[in-house]
Amino acid sequence: MNQTTSKDFRILAVALSFGGFGFVVMEGQKTIIEFGRRVADGDKNAQSIAKMKKLLSFYWPDVLVLQDVEAKGSRRALRIKTLNRQIKGMAEKHKIKVKLISGKQLRNSLLGDPKGTKQEMAEMTAVQFPDELASRLPPKRKPWKSEDPRMDIFDAMALAVVFWMKGAKQTVQHAGGP
Amino acid sequence: MSSLQLTNYLRTNRNRLALWQEEVAFLLGFKGEDKGAKVCRDEKFTREPSLRSALAYESIYGRPVRELFAGMYQQIEKEVAERAKLLTYRKVGNQNPKRHQALTNLASKPLHNPSQT
Repeated sequence: MNQTTSKDFRILAVALSFGGFGFVVMEGQKTIIEFGRRVADGDKNAQSIAKMKKLLSFYWPDVLVLQDVEAKGSRRALRIKTLNRQIKGMAEKHKIKVKLISGKQLRNSLLGDPKGTKQEMAEMTAVQFPDELASRLPPKRKPWKSEDPRMDIFDAMALAVVFWMKGAKQTVQHAGGP
Repeated sequence: MSSLQLTNYLRTNRNRLALWQEEVAFLLGFKGEDKGAKVCRDEKFTREPSLRSALAYESIYGRPVRELFAGMYQQIEKEVAERAKLLTYRKVGNQNPKRHQALTNLASKPLHNPSQT
């Protein structure tokens, strides 16, 4: 079995949301190559797929990290579930290893509390990558306001951080070399 | 899929310093209204910068060219190694041990992959 060291291991973490998706590309545990948000309107799934295709062909990640929207207790919209399946299928077609992380796993790993909030997770990741993310951390959401679009980036970042905490070693061994 | 490095890491380094494409273009000495677009093309691997620009990038970002253009360096290094391997087979009258050692080192270089150290 080939083993790739996590140093030269590139991952793309994607968090799907109502208006598109947030993404983070990392090489190793500490290097953020790129992060951002892609907006999708109109036929959201078709646009998201097209934009994902571009990202995949640009960065050729070894692993794609997605949220496990089919996990028990997940209450994501049907559109998101469909899109998640399509993206997973696309990645597998390109022979990219896919790692799914559930919301519960995220909260448990980052906060040690399955009832932790997204804001707390975002603050935690901003502390880990202050140069890149601290300035983009949205203020705490008021109950009468909708979620800040920038939260997509932090959701993707949380997926990436948990991937390196939990799944990296296992995935590296299974993924093998190029 | 690859664990190969990206062709270049210009965008990552620009983000690290929180510079705009226009500002980097100005620092590189590009002129014209669309000077930022040239930096964009460099970052998207659609344009290969000149040696002068590559060295200017090194000076701006404070990283060696081989790190900024890691993927390209990796590929060129591999090509050089293949050519060096061919040269090692070449019979020359006066076998200089230094020459032989240099070619052997070059031919085996990508195996050590020093660009990642």
